[in-house]
Amino acid sequence: MVKPAEPGGRSVDEERGTVMGRFSRAGLLKGSLAVMGAIGGTAVGAAELAAAGDSRGSAATDGEILTFGLLIERLQAAFYAAALRGGRLTGEARQFAQVVGAAEQAHVNYLVAALGSSAGKSPSFKFGDAATDPAKFIATAISLEETGLGVYNGQAVNLTPTTLAAAARIVSVEARHAAWARALAGKDPAPVAVDPPISVSQAKQTFQPFIVA
Amino acid sequence: MADHNPPSLRIDDFDVDGAVRETFERMSQLTRSGFLRRTVGAGVAALGAVAVWSPAASAQAASSDITILNFALALEYLQASFYTEAERIGKLSGALAHQAHVVGMHERAHVTAFHGLLGAAAIKEPQFNFHGVTESPDAFRSTAVAFEDLAAAAYKQQAPLIKSKSYLAGALAIHSVEARHAAWIRRLAGFLPAAHAFDEPLSDAKVVEIVNATHFVTLKDPQTATEAAPRFTG
Repeated sequence: MVKPAEPGGRSVDEERGTVMGRFSRAGLLKGSLAVMGAIGGTAVGAAELAAAGDSRGSAATDGEILTFGLLIERLQAAFYAAALRGGRLTGEARQFAQVVGAAEQAHVNYLVAALGSSAGKSPSFKFGDAATDPAKFIATAISLEETGLGVYNGQAVNLTPTTLAAAARIVSVEARHAAWARALAGKDPAPVAVDPPISVSQAKQTFQPFIVA
Repeated sequence: MADHNPPSLRIDDFDVDGAVRETFERMSQLTRSGFLRRTVGAGVAALGAVAVWSPAASAQAASSDITILNFALALEYLQASFYTEAERIGKLSGALAHQAHVVGMHERAHVTAFHGLLGAAAIKEPQFNFHGVTESPDAFRSTAVAFEDLAAAAYKQQAPLIKSKSYLAGALAIHSVEARHAAWIRRLAGFLPAAHAFDEPLSDAKVVEIVNATHFVTLKDPQTATEAAPRFTG
């Protein structure tokens, strides 16, 4: 079972941006600040996971899936870095690239720590004007985020419960990125009631053009 | 541009308490009784909304899975009723009205999906009283932000506890849609759609405590409720 290292703990101030913070500020949930520290960084209690059983998944499968997840995160992080280096993004598109790029880099660091020596080195990427042309940038961002999300959703059922709990903290962030990118393109951020999974082979077709052999 | 400082919710005039806990206590009693395992399978045939859900695993649905699905259903009831009522009242316009329309359809589809899975084991829909937050765009927006972030955090906590792979696939496919909803409404409210690199889970007890604190759930019998508030359901 892969046990990812916890990312840097967030301060209580940062946690106030979460739903708990909002309700507590409204005075609806007294004492919620006290529990926030306990929530941040604590995925699912070990006892609960033991109750769920570890019959699903294996350490080897976890490793395979997280390794592919790391490739996705590395590609996304490199894409946003290239877009920001290109310097042609303005306004909310630029803000999107900054915020999302930082999150993808955090995901890379998290997965590298989780995988340890098996993380390997990142391949090189080439994005051309997909990263620098503002219209192509948004279209490519949608494709990369939707594909990443779909793969995570499709593969998460094969993870051990502990690793699933860790991955779920990333998956919903990818969903937020996909929604935000779609909004920037003038599309509905949530087009369907349930997100369809995407197969690994389908995802590889999407990612392959950006990977330097 | 977007910032991290949401305004306060305008839902501070509530007068009913303890309703959600009653729902969950009743739910827990239901799931302890043995007949549930037999009834779950029948409901699966009705499931059309969630294509990724296959009936394969439902024949031996674990009672803990039933509890989790009912917990999710309770949250979907709450959201579906909220958006449906807001749309019916018609005080929203533009992008906000569109969001309420589309997201409302999704939440109603989630309710239908859970009903299909749970069949007779599904908890009943409680009565809701949104105390006016569905009548003001500002209050609607703030409440929707809170609901969607809450739903995503609740699913995130429950998903790893689901035993059936089929139910898990469905829950994950809804989990990410709730996160999209959160991003959508946060952007309309002027907040960063994705403010953190990692989203945190929230325990069922904490979720119930938060929902209780809103006093949106009344559990009153519609026949005896003195105010006879209109009831909107999915």
